[in-house]
Amino acid sequence: MEKSFLEATQLSSFLEKLRLFGELHGPTVTDAGVATFAPIAAPSQLRINYRRTQIPPKKYLLPFREQLLSYRDGRYAEPAETQPPIVLFALHPCDLAGIAYLDLVFLGDNTDPGYAARRARLTLVGISCEPDDFCFCSAPDSAANCDAFLTAVKSGYLFSAVTARGEAIAAAAADLFSTTEVPQPVAAQHPGTGVAPQGPELRFSDNPLWQKFADTCVSCGACSVCCPTCYCFDVREYPALDGGGVRIREWDNCFFATHGEVAGANFRPTRLDRLRYRFLHKYCGFTPLQGITSCVGCGRCKAVCPVGIDLRELFSAARGEMSP
Amino acid sequence: MKLVRLAIAGLTACSGCQLTLLNCEAELPDVLQRFELVYFPMAQSGGRREGPFDAALVEGAVSTPADLDMLFSLRNASRLLVAYGTCAAFGGVAAMNNGQSQRQELLQTVYGSQPSLPESFAPAPFGNFVSVDWTIRGCPPEKEEVVELLAALLAGTLPPVRSYPVCTECRSRENLCLLMEKGELCLGPVIQGGCNARCPATGIVCEGCRGPVREANVAQELELLLERGFGREEIERRMNRFKPGWDYGQRR
Repeated sequence: MEKSFLEATQLSSFLEKLRLFGELHGPTVTDAGVATFAPIAAPSQLRINYRRTQIPPKKYLLPFREQLLSYRDGRYAEPAETQPPIVLFALHPCDLAGIAYLDLVFLGDNTDPGYAARRARLTLVGISCEPDDFCFCSAPDSAANCDAFLTAVKSGYLFSAVTARGEAIAAAAADLFSTTEVPQPVAAQHPGTGVAPQGPELRFSDNPLWQKFADTCVSCGACSVCCPTCYCFDVREYPALDGGGVRIREWDNCFFATHGEVAGANFRPTRLDRLRYRFLHKYCGFTPLQGITSCVGCGRCKAVCPVGIDLRELFSAARGEMSP
Repeated sequence: MKLVRLAIAGLTACSGCQLTLLNCEAELPDVLQRFELVYFPMAQSGGRREGPFDAALVEGAVSTPADLDMLFSLRNASRLLVAYGTCAAFGGVAAMNNGQSQRQELLQTVYGSQPSLPESFAPAPFGNFVSVDWTIRGCPPEKEEVVELLAALLAGTLPPVRSYPVCTECRSRENLCLLMEKGELCLGPVIQGGCNARCPATGIVCEGCRGPVREANVAQELELLLERGFGREEIERRMNRFKPGWDYGQRR
């Protein structure tokens, strides 16, 4: 892993080099003041010291709503992929870990063609971050699952190329780098950025918090919408007036009554059932990702919850056993 | 091709829902080609209220004997009765003060002390009187949901149901959360989505025009608004704007 020093004053020039690899997207802020990943037309739009965006980078891979196909006269057609190559700049390790998890889901045994096409067009450039009170990330400086990574140090960034595309970025930006006396931070080898996997039996614990959360959760779905690894989706078909129609895919949410609903019954009829299911999926994982936690520690679920629910408080069997 | 026979009518309402259909300008040629608008007094004269209809799209709350007559007659003449808009589904703005206003006083305020006042009663949703086969929510409804229904009727079915709250689309659009970030009285968590968070996207709180989402945690919404310093009276007034009679103890 080669490292080079990029002085902070060279950042704008570095962004120009990144544009060679695709449309540049990075953390910025909307007119309403919401942190978001969006196209970066001018370096002044970039908020490199951002904490977290409301919607994680999964939106680039799994849009909130997408058309899977259109049909007419007994034939169907898939929409042509039009997304250009994109360089996603300044992703925090937690969001990189989120993409790594989505890769496991969508590029596994049954590859999702839409996801795979969009993933292939993404170049990921990570950056180290400073956790805030919502974060519970265990590896804010780990360089996993990206093409290149910047580690913030005094007066600049240490650049590391991780993949061949990262090497190509290094080559393109070679004249911007300098050698430095700054000691390289020891790259910690973490298995992930989030919390450790929990025992699946915990979801049936008699912790009284379960009922409290079930009572106070408003099922707004924000925690799941904003989660970098929540990927449940619904597929629906809408006929059109001309006799054809479209099939769409849209984010689904385990907090909604319809999520576990089948003809005549519901696998998870109550909010408590849905919370237990969410706990299982987030912290224990299930087949084929059993034992793999999908929580990456970004803190979004806690930051966006209108009633302040933090499922990690359920990590002990009962409230009396919780560590302070 | 056999045309699908429609009746489109309004009871006590502003006609905004019917207007929404007329505003679907891009789709109207297709609609006219495939549907027979048998009875649509707002848009065309000379219609006959003679069934059978494949579907009747009826807007408005029920608040007069004439409303009831129309509702029963369209129900009896139609295979599918569609409660078209929030008044038809929940009572709507006409019903917001049902809990406190006296009918007789209202009539005298409007009509003065003339000897014979028109007959009317507290505005009520269709479901109080007849069975309803499909509901289009919203004040006014989304064009998309109207077209969706018409297209589904052509295909011999009904559209797939949406059952997520406004917050889901609002967060996904990366709007600023007016409830949490601005401390405003937003009803997003308990209101049915499908509007793509139209109001919050422009910085206006969700007023609840699409009615309750399935299994709304009304008790918790009330609690979190009280915690943020809003008074019970103000909260209820806002909740009642498009649908009176919430169950404030409901947690699912």
